[in-house]
Formats: sequence, C-alpha cells, structure tokens
Amino acid sequence: MIETLRFWAIVVLLGLGVLFTFVSTVGVIRLPDVYSRAHTASQTDTLGAGFALAGVAVAFGWQHAAVYTVLLLFFVFITNPTAAHAISRSAAETGVEPILAAEGEDGNETEGDAETDGESR
Amino acid sequence: MTPVPLEDVFLAAAALFVVLAIAMFYRAVVGPTTQDRLLAVNVLGTNTVVILALLAAGLDQSWFLDVALIYALLNFLMSIAISKFTVERGGVL
Amino acid sequence: MSNDGRQEGDVVAVERLLVPLSDTVTVRQTVGYAVQSGLEAADSLECHLVVAMPYDDDSPESDRYSDDADGLLSRAQNWVEEDAGGADVTIETTTLGADEYLFGPRDYAEIFDAYADEHGIDRVVLDPEYQPGVTAQMLQPLERELDRIGLAYDEAPVDRPARRGRLNGGAEGFDRLFATFLISYGFYLLLGDPTYWFDLVTGAAVAGIVAVSLAQVTFTLPLDRVQSPLRVVRFALYIPYLLWEIVKANIAVSVVILRPSMPIEPTLTRVNSRVRSGLPLTALANSITLTPGTLTVRANNQQLLVHTLIPGARDDLFDGGLERGIRFVFYGRKSAAIASPRERDDAEIVGGDEL
Repeated sequence: MIETLRFWAIVVLLGLGVLFTFVSTVGVIRLPDVYSRAHTASQTDTLGAGFALAGVAVAFGWQHAAVYTVLLLFFVFITNPTAAHAISRSAAETGVEPILAAEGEDGNETEGDAETDGESR
Repeated sequence: MTPVPLEDVFLAAAALFVVLAIAMFYRAVVGPTTQDRLLAVNVLGTNTVVILALLAAGLDQSWFLDVALIYALLNFLMSIAISKFTVERGGVL
Repeated sequence: MSNDGRQEGDVVAVERLLVPLSDTVTVRQTVGYAVQSGLEAADSLECHLVVAMPYDDDSPESDRYSDDADGLLSRAQNWVEEDAGGADVTIETTTLGADEYLFGPRDYAEIFDAYADEHGIDRVVLDPEYQPGVTAQMLQPLERELDRIGLAYDEAPVDRPARRGRLNGGAEGFDRLFATFLISYGFYLLLGDPTYWFDLVTGAAVAGIVAVSLAQVTFTLPLDRVQSPLRVVRFALYIPYLLWEIVKANIAVSVVILRPSMPIEPTLTRVNSRVRSGLPLTALANSITLTPGTLTVRANNQQLLVHTLIPGARDDLFDGGLERGIRFVFYGRKSAAIASPRERDDAEIVGGDEL
C-alpha cells in the first residue's frame, strides 16, 4: 500500500517536473526577447527542477542521498536567479533593447521580430 | 502493486528531459544575442543537473548526485563569468 | 595659517562651508581641514555641519540613525570649537533628509544643493570616506553628481588608517569566526558522513582554515547573538511563503505561454524598495527573479529595475508581498507591516530607455 502510494507520488512529481520544464522550453523558444525568456527560464529552475528533485528525494527515502537532493535543490534555488540576473543585466549593458508593450496594448510581437532584431549584432 | 518498476519511471522521465534539452538547444544555436544563448545554456545546465539526479535514482547510483552538485556549481560560475565577459569585452574577466 | 590673503575688501568676508558628516575614521580630520581651509580663505567662517539621514522616519533603522546623528553632530561641534581657537567661527548643525527617503548619490547631491542655495554656501568639504548609512562607497558618484549640479566641493586631504580596522572588535570577531566555522563544518558533514571519524577530523580542519581565511568577508550584516539566529529561523518561515508565491506565479505564466495567442505584456518597472543594500536587497532581488513573471534587471541603491511579463505578476510586485517577507526576515514582524510600493508611490512603469 505504502509502496503504491509512493510510486504514484513519484510519478505525479516527475510528471509535474516534466510539465513545467516543457512549458519553460516552449517559452524560451516562443517568447520574443531575452528578458521575457529569462522569466520562463526561471520556471525550469524553480518548479521543473523542484518537482523532479522532490521525486528523486522521495525515491531515496530516508537516506543520506535524499539530503543531497534537497541540498542540490537549495543550491539551484540560490544560484539560478543570480545567474539570470547577471545574464539580463549583461544584456541591458550591452544594449539589447527590451520589447515592451505600449501602455494598455498587448505585446504580441512574434518571434520573427526578435530574430530580425538580433541580426544587427 | 506498481504497474512498472520505479527505475523505469525515472529513466523515462530522464529521457523526456533529454528531449526537452534538445529542444532548448534550438535557442542556444539560433540566439540571436549572446545573452539568449547564454540563457539557453544555463537552462540546459539546470536540465543536466536534473537528468543526473534522475539517473542517480533510476540506476541507483547515488554518487551521481555528487556529479550533479559539482555540475550545478560550474553551471553557475560559467553563467556569471560569461555574462561578465560580454559586458567587459577585452578585459580578461 | 595666514589670514592676510583676503584682507583687501572692506567688507569682512565670510566663508560658508557645508560639511556632510558620517561616522567614519576620517571624519575628525575632515572637520579639522574644513575649519583650517575656511579660515585661510576668509576672516570668519560659517561652518554648517550636516548629517544626511539615509532612512525616513518609518524605516526600522531610523531611530538608531537619528540617535547616532545627534551624537555625531555634537561631537563635531566640539571639534570645530577646538580647532577654531579664538577665530570667528559660527557653527550650524542640522540633519537633512529625515522626511524623505534618500536612495543614491543623486539624492544626496540634490539635498546638499538645496541646503547650499538656502544658506548661501560657498563650498562643500567632503570626507573621502563619506558613507551615509549605506554600505556602498559613496564618494566618487557623489562627486560626479555635485559636478553635474555645479556645486563647488573640496575633498579633505586625510591620512587614511587601514580600512576595516574598526570592524574587528573582540567579541564580534570571535562571533564571525565561530559562525563561519559552524556553517562550513555543518556543510562538510552534510556532504560527508557525520559518524565516520575521518570526516569529522578533516571537516574540522577544513572548516578551521575556511573560518580563519574567510570570516572577515562572509557576513555583510553585523552579527548579533540574538538577532542573527532569529533571522535564520525567520528565513526558514519565509521559504514556504516564497514557494507558494513561486507556484502561483508559475501557473499564471504557464497559462499565458501555452495559449496560442500568448497574451504577454512585457513592461519595465522601477520599484524603490525599503530594504537595506547588501544581503537584504540581494535576497529581495533574488526572490523577485525566482518568481516567474518578474525579473530584476538592475539593483542599485535600493532601486530595482524589474522586467515584468504579465500584468498579474506586475500587480503582485507592486503589492510588495515579497518585500514584506524580506523585511520580516531581516527586521522582524513589526517592520513587515508597511505600505505596498504602490501605495507609497514607489513603483512606476518606465520605458525601455531606462536600461
């Protein structure tokens, strides 16, 4: 009984992890500029990795390895926003223009815009 | 009773993550800016960490987690170093 | 010291000096220089001693700072009287900026300028180590801003004693050493095996080396035997709240991204946060970045430039939930209850050229 419960818990956790990583991948491919992509990249870092590593931790159970997994997750949580911030800041400083929605307008720039944007680099 | 062995679930999830990582690779190749590539590679690195952890559970090799931990560290350092480098081109770092 | 240089005019020249004070090792010498150079330039000197308050009244640090400021002003007044000897020196003391919130060099330069206009100040004498409350070095950007405004200034020539010398108090130094040792030893044992004697011994050795070499640079906030452990506990309480915010934001962003029309509305916003520079600001900026939908592009002097992806995330940011959380972690529960950035008018949407 407990085994079955644990099995399904792991399946659900891994499924959610894959789901959020999938969304994040779609976002990174679809979104128009580096700043918006950074938002969705943090989805992989938080919930994608979070759920998947939680699944791993549940599988290891009360072992030393589970502590490792939690530590790993904590580490990912601390370092990745810093890295994302560094990347977006470096984008800002090298003069990459953000694509912004005008007040009240929708910002439906397609990917094509970003691509042509970048050719000038 | 579990329908499939737990190990297979982990391996399947790892396989899915690999597929997603390959999709992410598109952004790393296309760019268009250096920062786009860097961001994609950073996410790829996080994916790699997760894949390593999943393999650790799937193959029951808990030392894979050590590799994952070091990988997470290097991934962080790489992102910081390259973003710094792109700003101060010409400076060493 | 000669007073003969400017004797030509009939009118007795008065030199009016503005001396911004902060509690540094060189403040004494700066005051001394101000008096000396002022009396060289003119017969009589009007010395305006000011302390700029980095926090306004509802900031948690405010009380401590205003006490410190009063103490500093009365000390500086004594120094001026001492240095002036019998010369004709008038002293004015004020605290500036108590009713507003000063963010960066520009704000300081502007209040100094306003004060200078009001009192006909000739020159500002700057302390090379000038640091009004914030941890960041202030002098160069401040001088740039003063140049821009066109206020004459003068940097006091001082002998700098070794920096940080005053930071290593006995008990405080031990606390740092001990805390660093404990943290690194704990981390080592977490990775290793706490029941194996070899790991215990090597861990102690490694943690000792780490503590001795890195204790001075590890902590940005002064350690306190009660407050610091309490902060750790409060941080542990903050994590579930942060996770909950992350889950909510993740779902909202996922819905937007997966919709074929992708109704995103990217905007750049500026939020003036009311947390201190250094670790609290880092924690806030990281929390904001960690929440999908908001991304900190820049963070200086408590001003955060945040890119937001969807209106919902922007509203959450302007409601300031995370900011309250960080204030709770670092300053306690009472400080957490402040107005949201929207209510206190610290949040605005800016254009792309702000980058």
